[in-house]
Amino acid sequence: MIDSTTSDPTRATSHMWVTQLYAIVLGLGVLAFVLAFDYRTFTDKSHIIYIGMLALLVYVMLFGTVQMGARRWIPLKIVNLQPSEFAKIAVALVLAKFFGENRGAPQWTDLGIASALTLLPLALIAKEPDLGTAVTLLPVLIAVAYLAGMRMRILGVLCLGLLLAAPVAWKFGLKDYQKSRISTFLDPSQDAKGAGYQQIQARITVGSGGLSGKGFKKGTQGQLRFLPVAHNDFIFSVLAEEQGFAGVLVALGLYLFVILRALEAARLAQDRLGSYLVLGVLASFTFQVIYNITMSAGLAPVKGLTLPLMSYGGSSMVATLAGFGLILNVRMRRFTN
Amino acid sequence: MALHEERRKLGIRLTGLQYGVAVVFSVLAVSFWVLQVVKHAKYEEIAENNHQRTLALRAPRGLVFDRHGRVLVENRHSYSVSIVREHTKDLNRTIRLLAAVLGLEERGVREIVDRHRREPTYRPITILQDATLAQVAAVTARRLDFELPDVVVEQVPTRRYPTDALASHLFGYVGEANDAQVAEGGDLKSGDIVGQSGVEKVYNTLLMGEDGAKRVVVNSVGREIRTLEEEQPNEGQRLELTVDYDVQRSLEDGFKWAGFNGAAVIMDPRTGGVLAFTSVPGYDPNAFAAGIDRATWASLNSDDLHPLQDRAIQGRYSPGSTFKMAVATAALEEGIITPDFKVYCPGHATFFGRPFQCWKPGGHGAVDLRHAIEQSCNVYFYTVGNMVGIDKIHKWATLLGLGEKSGIDLPNEVQGLVPSPEWKKAKTGEKWYAGETISVSIGQGQVSVTPVSMAVYISTIANGGTRVTPHLLQAVDDGSGWKPAKAPAPQSTVALKPDTVQAIRDGLYLVVNGGGTGGAARIAGRDVSGKTGTAQVISTEGSKAAKGKTTQDLRDNGWFVFFAPRDNPRIAGVVFVEHSGHGGTWAAPIAKHVMETFFAKQEGKPLPPGPAPTTHPPEAGGDDPLPPRPSTSPVAVNDRAPERPAQ
Repeated sequence: MIDSTTSDPTRATSHMWVTQLYAIVLGLGVLAFVLAFDYRTFTDKSHIIYIGMLALLVYVMLFGTVQMGARRWIPLKIVNLQPSEFAKIAVALVLAKFFGENRGAPQWTDLGIASALTLLPLALIAKEPDLGTAVTLLPVLIAVAYLAGMRMRILGVLCLGLLLAAPVAWKFGLKDYQKSRISTFLDPSQDAKGAGYQQIQARITVGSGGLSGKGFKKGTQGQLRFLPVAHNDFIFSVLAEEQGFAGVLVALGLYLFVILRALEAARLAQDRLGSYLVLGVLASFTFQVIYNITMSAGLAPVKGLTLPLMSYGGSSMVATLAGFGLILNVRMRRFTN
Repeated sequence: MALHEERRKLGIRLTGLQYGVAVVFSVLAVSFWVLQVVKHAKYEEIAENNHQRTLALRAPRGLVFDRHGRVLVENRHSYSVSIVREHTKDLNRTIRLLAAVLGLEERGVREIVDRHRREPTYRPITILQDATLAQVAAVTARRLDFELPDVVVEQVPTRRYPTDALASHLFGYVGEANDAQVAEGGDLKSGDIVGQSGVEKVYNTLLMGEDGAKRVVVNSVGREIRTLEEEQPNEGQRLELTVDYDVQRSLEDGFKWAGFNGAAVIMDPRTGGVLAFTSVPGYDPNAFAAGIDRATWASLNSDDLHPLQDRAIQGRYSPGSTFKMAVATAALEEGIITPDFKVYCPGHATFFGRPFQCWKPGGHGAVDLRHAIEQSCNVYFYTVGNMVGIDKIHKWATLLGLGEKSGIDLPNEVQGLVPSPEWKKAKTGEKWYAGETISVSIGQGQVSVTPVSMAVYISTIANGGTRVTPHLLQAVDDGSGWKPAKAPAPQSTVALKPDTVQAIRDGLYLVVNGGGTGGAARIAGRDVSGKTGTAQVISTEGSKAAKGKTTQDLRDNGWFVFFAPRDNPRIAGVVFVEHSGHGGTWAAPIAKHVMETFFAKQEGKPLPPGPAPTTHPPEAGGDDPLPPRPSTSPVAVNDRAPERPAQ
């Protein structure tokens, strides 16, 4: 069985810790709920789920609450809901179903439709703005299309297109703060006190951890808040500081284990639909894990991407566990018909 | 079959993904290994610096006491406001806000910051010293709001001097070490407070303590979380001066009562220990203690009265009649005359075809040495000086301490001048004319002296030939108890013949207690001996050039050199009063008040009250002023009367 309840050294104040515990319990509940039905039930209903998710995203855009300059949350009575986290699952479901119904290698038209299905929520989320989460939808599309047999040439063309689009996007698509994040990534010292600050501090945090770390809650960088949003985007830096390289290896190993087990589930799946679903869910998860860890070491531009299962965030936790529910579901039902 | 083929393809692609993920994770693991293990030391150091700060704990300077243990200079607490740029994100914003909060001009704050911009960022830049409580409150309130996280308020010890400029030139003042001082002085850092003049400067290394340090943990906005270690500052060493507070006070009171500027040095003629020392006008060293503001500094420097100049060691003045004892000593020691040698004074005399006047138009008649000193007869000393010659006058004046540096432990002492043929040759290339000796014989011509060298001169006469070195330091306490400071060796010693000493002492005694010009210094039972002097400030030509200056500036300078008691002197000194006219009028009564205070203190009697402002003495008439200034005929005396020193 996939050990979906990886240890969770959430670093935050006590009430945040409790909130996170609730999120885990809730997520496990959702996981159990998802397991109770055949995954085909969900893929059959994927268009309804997809449309409902779009509706939520539109609702957020119009009525959501604003935090840290972005309109991302729907306030519920007790908790705030972040629909963009669930968009990944909805996209995975709808793409799995779309490609699962097609036989043979996908053609240009198939890719066009699939891209449209992905880009619509992507645009809505990017508009919030939450470019980080929006971008995680792309790996879902690429991974599922790849598995569905998309020709490598097309993949190459896509990559080329992205490369060509980059300067255009730089000029028209990105906001100033996004530009500055990328340019400071290339040379953090040019703005050591401003945008490059987090990146430099992240490297210091990780580097000062050493082989065995400074010990639980003994980290100076995270505890004294030199590293901003340490309980969230930079959770892995804090882990690296307090638990050292040893802790990093354990965490990396656990994540790798989870991902490889999930890929195994995709291989064992009873039908293509199941494989695509597993990979769709897994793609955004893997992308986020790799990107966040790279960023934690100050090796990638700072982007508001959480580390699944470790970062603070209820929606992310519940959505991730729900995704694992789907993966387990596929693995569980590999023999049934 | 198709299904199987499809599954195979899918399997291949999944395997590819598995390998891909594994490779990415391996790369990540290697990256972390590089950061955390290979470069660990570097990042660990940065992280330490990130959250630890070393704050300097300023050491108080050593206290300064008078010879009886009375505190003269102490320390008080003050607050200084500084910027630490280490984690400043927007220095301009900090400067703007801080200037507004403190009520300072933004431009001025910016200038201070610019001056220190190249220093390490962790070193605080002091913006404001001695901040008022209101300013401190305004800043700390802002700090809590996280608006000025890079601003620190430090409590620093600051010098406190007596409030009324008492002995200000003696104490000197402190200030931030300037660039040159930082460059030369081993341990000095920019921002250190060091002595810039007076005792503060000369004994700076003793007075300066060792700053302590406090290592604290701070968070990302600079707030102190806890103290890691604290190294207490070491207070500077304590100094005990030879100065007696009450004698010093009486001297300052005397000048206040007289209302003139001038200088005075009073000392123990046996050791050279300075009992009192002043230069008037003084300044308030407290203004420097907490960083002097530009306006005060400018006004001190542009003041016509030059309050920053220490007249006692940096003023060069014509000694006038006080120089006559040097001529007498030379004549007696060289065996040229005996004390009974008599000269007839008709009121004038002719040397080398030129007329020289005595101050008493009718003349003194026949006078011997004792009475020539008592009466300050010019003709007697013209005659004797002419017999002795310039070389021997120069020799003996120098042995008595004139025209030399006294060696007092104060900075920037200047040297006076007793002319000699060698000096003239070097200076102008001309040979010495015997006629010049005549003016030198009564302390005119090129002779110029500093007040402190006059104190040495009269002390040497009082103690019989030992040219003591005036000094201020009596004892030092480095924390392990007082240790007496070794008195500096005399500059030179010559055993004057008892006859010589006795004759001159007798003459000086008569000046005060006989019919002489120093009657204003007479104290019953103390056998005060002394000599007045009056020196022209300006030549006839000079007085034309100085048109527009007040007549006050052109009045003669008055001298009074003295010691007491006559036969076993324990106090000696000089009082020099600028533009006061005759030396017996103002200088002598000031000296009297000082001596009365000294003796009363020695015998444990109540100190005499200060001279009342209403008891200004009448102008002492007909004494030993110079020969009347001729308006037509050239008189040697007036040819080269010294000008007021340039400073």
